[in-house]
Amino acid sequence: MSTQLEQVLKKQQEQQKTPLENEIEEVIQLVGFMVGDEEFAVPILDIQEIIKPIEYTRVPKTPDYVLGVFNLRGSVLPLIDLRMKFGLSKSKENEDTRYMVIKYNDDIAGFVIDRLTQAMRIPERSIDPAPETIHDEQNLIYGVGKQEDKLVSILNVEALLKRDF
Amino acid sequence: MDEFDEILEDFLVEAFEMLEQLDNDLIELESSPDDLDLLNRIFRVAHTIKGSSSFLNFDVLTHLTHHMEDVLNKARKGELTITPEIMDVVLESTDKMKALLEHIRETGSDQGAVDVAPTVSRLEAILGGGSPAEAAAPAQEPAPSAQPEPEAEPEEEEKDLSEMSEEEIEAEIERLLKQRQEEDRKRREAKKKAQEAGETVEESGEKDISEMSEEEVEAEIERLLKERQEEDRKRREAKKKAQQQAAATQPAEQKPAPASQPAASTPKPAAQPARNTPKPAAKERKSTVEQTIRVDVKRLDDLMNLIGELVLGKNRLLKIYDDVEERYEGEQFLEELNQVVSSISLVTTDLQIAVMKTRMLPIGKVFNKFPRMVRDLARELHKEIELVISGEETELDKSIVEEIGDPLVHIIRNSCDHGIEPPEERVAAGKPPKGTVQLKAYNEGNHIIIEIVDDGRGMDPDVLKMKAVEKGVISEKEADQMSDKEAFMLIFKPGFSTAAKVTNVSGRGVGMDVVKSNIEKLNGIIEIESEKGKGTTLKLKIPLTLAIIQSLLVSVQEEYYAVPLASVLETVRITPDEIQSVEGRSVLRLRDEVLPLVHLADLFDVERVFSMGEHAYVVIIGLAESKLGLIVDSLVGQEEIVIKSLGEYLKGIEGIAGATIRGDGRVTLIVDVGALMDMAKSVKSGMQNLDAADVKTEKTKPSDYNILIVDDSKTDRTIMRKSLEPLGVTITEATNGVEALNILKDGSTIFDAALVDIEMPRMDGYTLASEIRKFNKFKQMPLIAVTSRTNRSDRLRGVEVGMTEYITKPYTQEYLMNVVARNINLNVE
Repeated sequence: MSTQLEQVLKKQQEQQKTPLENEIEEVIQLVGFMVGDEEFAVPILDIQEIIKPIEYTRVPKTPDYVLGVFNLRGSVLPLIDLRMKFGLSKSKENEDTRYMVIKYNDDIAGFVIDRLTQAMRIPERSIDPAPETIHDEQNLIYGVGKQEDKLVSILNVEALLKRDF
Repeated sequence: MDEFDEILEDFLVEAFEMLEQLDNDLIELESSPDDLDLLNRIFRVAHTIKGSSSFLNFDVLTHLTHHMEDVLNKARKGELTITPEIMDVVLESTDKMKALLEHIRETGSDQGAVDVAPTVSRLEAILGGGSPAEAAAPAQEPAPSAQPEPEAEPEEEEKDLSEMSEEEIEAEIERLLKQRQEEDRKRREAKKKAQEAGETVEESGEKDISEMSEEEVEAEIERLLKERQEEDRKRREAKKKAQQQAAATQPAEQKPAPASQPAASTPKPAAQPARNTPKPAAKERKSTVEQTIRVDVKRLDDLMNLIGELVLGKNRLLKIYDDVEERYEGEQFLEELNQVVSSISLVTTDLQIAVMKTRMLPIGKVFNKFPRMVRDLARELHKEIELVISGEETELDKSIVEEIGDPLVHIIRNSCDHGIEPPEERVAAGKPPKGTVQLKAYNEGNHIIIEIVDDGRGMDPDVLKMKAVEKGVISEKEADQMSDKEAFMLIFKPGFSTAAKVTNVSGRGVGMDVVKSNIEKLNGIIEIESEKGKGTTLKLKIPLTLAIIQSLLVSVQEEYYAVPLASVLETVRITPDEIQSVEGRSVLRLRDEVLPLVHLADLFDVERVFSMGEHAYVVIIGLAESKLGLIVDSLVGQEEIVIKSLGEYLKGIEGIAGATIRGDGRVTLIVDVGALMDMAKSVKSGMQNLDAADVKTEKTKPSDYNILIVDDSKTDRTIMRKSLEPLGVTITEATNGVEALNILKDGSTIFDAALVDIEMPRMDGYTLASEIRKFNKFKQMPLIAVTSRTNRSDRLRGVEVGMTEYITKPYTQEYLMNVVARNINLNVE
């Protein structure tokens, strides 16, 4: 009798557990930020750190959006202005401006963003592929995440760190 | 298995080291075939490799080295004279040996890599054909065969047994045993041969060691030892006798010795050097072995990186000290700080030098392969060439030693092939038939100089020019303008070769191009001197190390760049009218040279904010064979910098070799001198554009003037604004130093003056002023302090940080207006 009961209980537990686990696996944690008027997000695991703006050195013979290089505790990293990368005007530095250091495999660079918004968890199923109408040659957008009231463009980190000049 | 790997690794390292030496010894041997010392050394190498490889079960290698050893042994005993033909075979087997060892290093086995059979059979042919005496030897009675053997090689380490320590005796026994084994093997082989030839061979009294029982071996050792002792005794007696009778009559048992050493006249000199010389050599070797350790190169690289960080830290500390010194002059703690800073910087420098030294290798590592190469070339080209090497002990960073090999190969090949004439031609020109190529290395400051000098036919600049025009490398016009030196440099152009016929050695027009690019990679400089009929000298000037370099810091507008000091030939200060124009290009006449000039700002598209002053500086850079004048706004100074890569994303940017972190934590880019030279060719002079920029900023009406007001109090800002209103100038406001600095740096408006309050949150007026003055473009901007601080020391501090005027509150409207108007040169009606 008791063993039967145990088995039933176990079965119930398993049933409860599995969907929960699946759900956890499917959720992606992202860091949201503003560039221009639009909100973007990057998987939190690809972000090495976020720092306040520091001085950088211009590197000649590079596209506009490559602002230059900066010194992050002894390493020299490239600095890329996301506004200009997205075809907007050059960002004006203010107290919300941050450098987001993104690392993917061995590629690493700092990106200038206008403002951080929030950390978010979006289930995989509520991420849609980028609409085809978006003209996106470089494949910079990984997908569009739906939140209760708004949409967030999730960036393709690998493409972001790929040199295209 | 691990242990085996370890042994294998040791074996390989040792074997390669020995081989390097072997090549040189062999070449030397060819010129002095009677040098027994040399022969013994060579024999020992072959012998050691054979021994180790048989232990490690490398059968092919053992087979090959065994035959080599036999040939060398024969030569050593004087039964064989080394002729060039024999040398060819020996060298060939050395090559095979190398190939085998390389194969072992890669795969761990010596099977199937190299076919040694033909070489071995050639070695056998030498063994067989070289001396028929060999076949007869085993037939002799044991006693006589044993007796002449050791005496035939008096240079061998024949130590007196009675003087030996236990270990030495042990070693001696081992040596003797080995000798015996070899003899046995030889004899067996000879026997086989003899049997094949159908002869019956008398059973010799010598037993095969491998077939012996332990006791037998023991007995054999005993016997051999006795024999040795007996010999020693005899020799001692002979020596005594020889000493007694000054004019020695040669004792019977010494007879074989002169055969191998015809020069020896009395037994005494023959025996003595043999006894004395090997001993100290052995001791020396022992002590050096104990004092060195092998270290993985990666560890050294890591260490070098860490030192690099330390150097950056040191630079930073020095910079901070300078700042602190300015601010707290005369304070007690400054002295202490000074001591700490200078001792740290001293230690860091020493540490850096020490680590650099551990990475240094003698250039002999590279030079070693050249005697062999030149010898082969000489035979192939039917010329007589002698290679004279000097300065092989000169040390260089490991990475450079690795890079320098290829270019040197090409240069030396070139010297042998194109430079040195065939013997007949040399004799006809009144030179000795044997040509000389000299390879020299020596230090000069922070550089090492490698010179390759040949006494060949030299180069004819006119012929070079003609060829170059013919091949379309340069135009006829260019050729006319070319100096002789520039003409010599033509040999480095891709697709240029003057060899009348393309040989196996050179003439394909690839090599010298490689030389140039490799030397450039090392930040080196090439110089050529040549005189027709006399010979050619090629000089390579290479920096000692690559990771940490001395650099010249220059500034262009607001940007700083580091130029590797190794490439800087000189700097000159010029006025703008010294710059002349030839065909739309700027040039500078410096002494008797005309240098192409280019502004660094044009190369790197630096925005021109302010115009060139009365003076500009020209940094003359030289790389490989070309020179270029680089115009910069100012020279900042010399600094030791650590090269850092720009990373994957930005690598390969034209004109930038890397970056470094300066004392203030900022990143400064290091220019790639080689790339700059190329870029300079396509840059148009930007000097003229400057005037246009000036016109644009000319003010026509009061509202063209921009004034920045920095004050945290709204009331104060309003008062200032009101006071300035009558002037009609445009006014921008900032509430603190940080905001003001950002507005200034933003650059969208260029301000003609700034009114600065002293006491403000976040950044005060003093700090703001000193920050502003850090920018070249704001150096001249009037900064007017407006403050209620009336203290004398406050005023003084204001002047120190770069304030132009100091106005104390309260002030009259007119006063402020006048001060501002005066500072921006605005006429008030």
